[in-house]
Amino acid sequence: MMDWFQSNPMTLVGLVLWAVGILWLMPAKHGGKPRSRILGLVLTAAGLVSFCLACGNPHSELANEVMFWVFGIGALLCGVLMITARNPVYAALWFALTTLATCGLFLLQSAPFLAAATIIVYAGAVIVTFLFVIMLAQQSGAAGYDQRSGQSVLATVAAFVFLGAIAMTLQTEKLDIEVRAVPVVAAVAEPAPAVGGMPGMPGIAVDLPIGAPATPPEPGNLLSVADADHPVGNLKGLGRSLFGDYLFAVELAGTLLLVACIGAIAIAPRREQGGL
Amino acid sequence: MTPEEQRFLLVGAGLFVLGIIGFLTRRNLILMVLSAELMLHGISLTMVTFGRMHQTQEGQAFTIFTLTVAACEAGLALSLVLALYRKSHSLDIQLWSELRESDLAGPTADIASETEKPVDAYENIPKLTPAGIVPKDPPRTSASSGATSSGRV
Repeated sequence: MMDWFQSNPMTLVGLVLWAVGILWLMPAKHGGKPRSRILGLVLTAAGLVSFCLACGNPHSELANEVMFWVFGIGALLCGVLMITARNPVYAALWFALTTLATCGLFLLQSAPFLAAATIIVYAGAVIVTFLFVIMLAQQSGAAGYDQRSGQSVLATVAAFVFLGAIAMTLQTEKLDIEVRAVPVVAAVAEPAPAVGGMPGMPGIAVDLPIGAPATPPEPGNLLSVADADHPVGNLKGLGRSLFGDYLFAVELAGTLLLVACIGAIAIAPRREQGGL
Repeated sequence: MTPEEQRFLLVGAGLFVLGIIGFLTRRNLILMVLSAELMLHGISLTMVTFGRMHQTQEGQAFTIFTLTVAACEAGLALSLVLALYRKSHSLDIQLWSELRESDLAGPTADIASETEKPVDAYENIPKLTPAGIVPKDPPRTSASSGATSSGRV
């Protein structure tokens, strides 16, 4: 633990500055005069820059680096501004910006379909619904409960200890991910009997020597493994995974949407019962 | 785990932690639901990164399910918020602290402070005039008396 402190001082300084900035920005009343937001913003931005500098990647290209900086720092900064906004309308708009920045990060992680779906669902539906509810329920301007925050020191310290623990784990542990690379070349070179693979699905044949005792096929969702034809994030591969391995779950998700729709209609108050 | 994946995981963890802070500190019901959505963003980013680390589509497939559940959650939570607002005419979560366990301490901030006048920090935001019945007899002023008398009858 002390090794981590000494080897990653930037991360630690960034976390502390960021936490102090959030605490400064939190809505609180001290003698009836609100604190200036500029200092909190500067603290938060300095902490974020330091936090993201600590996890820089010296081997990546400049364009990739710039996009990660813009989207990553943008997402985190908009998140800070969202949770400290005094007006719920502004909070919803900052949340929309956070969603856009997260979609940029999805694009960097080769998930274009997911980025589009997230923008459509969140920015198109969820944010609009939130804004409607805010307009319905909070017509009288600024409310007193938005000017205060409960137990902000305790919550911020606990949450940042948690984040520090995650950062320490990520930066010290060298996890060796065993990628289930599908040996397309090997399968061509040595035609092995398809033990675990599905018939008619090339590329998922388990590589078995002829005389070896038959080991059980590798468990898992074989249609979800990325290969040369279906790299990660490919729409065809994603659809094959969704409607192959997860077909039952897709049906279940549709049922869940129906149940939630019925529930929302049943719970929402009617106008005849007093209106809003 | 390469540094490229590590920093995406760190940003995901940061988004999740921001959602935790917002959920724990804010007292507005709508903001608490929004913070839960922020936590879901962090989880989604982490799962997409995990899927890329393992070279499988499962991370993105699971994120699509998370998206579905998030949409359901937003709809249900907002109708619940509206139902609660109809009962208490406020979005304050502390008005519902009666629902806590009986051996737990009460809310830290005093509820009595709710009765004070809300801070009018948004005076410069334009407000619509409340709709209602059009007044039948507009008050006459000396400047406009000639115009109104000519327009009437």
